[in-house]
Amino acid sequence: MKLELGFIEIKDIQFSNESKVENGTLFVNADDVKAFVYEDDDVKACVKSVCFDIAKPGESVRITPVKDVIEPRVKVEGPGGEFPGVIAKVDTVGSGKTHVLRGMAVVTAGPIVGFQEGIIDMTGPGAEYTPFSKLLNLVMVCTQVEGVHQHEYEHAVRIAGLRAATFIGELGRNVTPDETKEFETLGIREGLEKYPNLPRVGYVHMLQSQGLLHDTYVYGVDAKRTLTTIIYPTETMDGAIISGNCVSACDKNTTYHHQNNPVVADLFEQHGKTLNYVCNIITNENVYLADKQRSSDWSAKLCRLLDLDGVIVSQEGFGNPDTDLIMNTKKIEQVGVKTTIITDEYAGQDGKSQSLADADPLADAVVTGGNANMVIELPKLDKVIGTLDYVDKIAGGHAGSLRPDGSIEAELQVITGATNEMGFNCLSAR
Amino acid sequence: MKNGRDFMIVTNNPLVEKVLSKYYEVRYLPEENYRAILITVRDLVYAGHKLYTHPLSGSVKPNETPYKSVVVSKVPHKMNADEAAIISNCVEAYDKFTPRNRMLSDKVLGDFQLIDYTLLCGAVDYDAAAGLSKLDNQI
Repeated sequence: MKLELGFIEIKDIQFSNESKVENGTLFVNADDVKAFVYEDDDVKACVKSVCFDIAKPGESVRITPVKDVIEPRVKVEGPGGEFPGVIAKVDTVGSGKTHVLRGMAVVTAGPIVGFQEGIIDMTGPGAEYTPFSKLLNLVMVCTQVEGVHQHEYEHAVRIAGLRAATFIGELGRNVTPDETKEFETLGIREGLEKYPNLPRVGYVHMLQSQGLLHDTYVYGVDAKRTLTTIIYPTETMDGAIISGNCVSACDKNTTYHHQNNPVVADLFEQHGKTLNYVCNIITNENVYLADKQRSSDWSAKLCRLLDLDGVIVSQEGFGNPDTDLIMNTKKIEQVGVKTTIITDEYAGQDGKSQSLADADPLADAVVTGGNANMVIELPKLDKVIGTLDYVDKIAGGHAGSLRPDGSIEAELQVITGATNEMGFNCLSAR
Repeated sequence: MKNGRDFMIVTNNPLVEKVLSKYYEVRYLPEENYRAILITVRDLVYAGHKLYTHPLSGSVKPNETPYKSVVVSKVPHKMNADEAAIISNCVEAYDKFTPRNRMLSDKVLGDFQLIDYTLLCGAVDYDAAAGLSKLDNQI
């Protein structure tokens, strides 16, 4: 399966009467986006209002609470469309050509539950910890219709964000990209014939799948309901996997992370040179122990069946997913396939506690995404998009987190993307 | 297939008690905090009750939410060392987090109850939304 990505560099965003991309600037009519977003019945029923704002790198702006971050893309050639099974029809994606509005994101914000997470600071020390401070962000703040249940509202906001990103992505359809890049996954036999001497490497991608605010969707299917399976890496580039996770900002994989998976990018960089990147194996993180047993058995079985020499394993979340991570790693090692894990750590505020809730001697190759318990201080910023009402109650916050002078003392957990477990961040150990 | 007849839900979550006690055995311990629930589960697992769900479900950290529900077997079967290790690791993981002293509003408490409830429903294959609708209709 071969996909060409065409990157259209976005250097500025401005509100305007006409929605278009011209010479690297996104001009957007907020009312047009709003009308498109509200064409969905669930959005109409559950989302009382949406309002738009723009946050640029370096501005003294804090966005909170953050639900999802999504990159606008559009399929210009080949089967399917972005976010198959959710926005586009459920056709197989990952081939043909897709345009990417690079350098920007659509950010959905606004509370869903009273302890809603996520802070993105566009400047200051907080900006160092999130990749989203480097993007031009079109923020859509949503509010809830009274009396609507939380799970209905979460679904509606999820759809609203994806629709907004779809509308913006469409503006890039007829724009000539600034750069193109091709990604190809060969069939099993073809790959073996072409790269007989390269180690066969796969990516075991664990998906958050525990319940409300803790879900991931694959072609629109709740990952709780899937058995471990195989997916072409390029399918993820067309939004085949989207996030319904909005608890614990630091280690959640936003939809932007799924679209721009750094493990996928780095494996493709090495494909045909130092390794043969065979495929992705996606598996879930259910709460029921027998499901964990089944899913991890299946991951190991597929690694063996595909004759892989090694895999990278990434997880999403804390606690319960740590058990899946260790089960996957242990069983894959036991069938003779080497593993390297990427994870973040909850090692206590002093960094001295065991980092994961589970461990095994076979899990001896680990790349860390940072310690989420580390305490940080965020200064007051001039403007807030969203509301600060939840800062005391978000994951990593505490009573008095939000100080009278507007500064925040909290654990690193509060910052969206800070200790991302795909390695899409700047923290590590040296 | 989920073996619902053997489930006992150990919980301090009033929403779980309200919705699920009609369908499952629920050991409702409202006076126990999150850690105490973990200890109760640990003691049951040591006594041979099977552990059906992972006690650290959810990404809301143990020092943030007051509510915890865990599913064990109604009766003891045979003590399982792996399950005992899981629950004791959970107690250790809990102790890594600094206690937070926050006054939580009824709305926030309700939201924490909801998350714990939906994670539990996801684990046991009970339709969480349907359960809430039934509760709404009873009021």
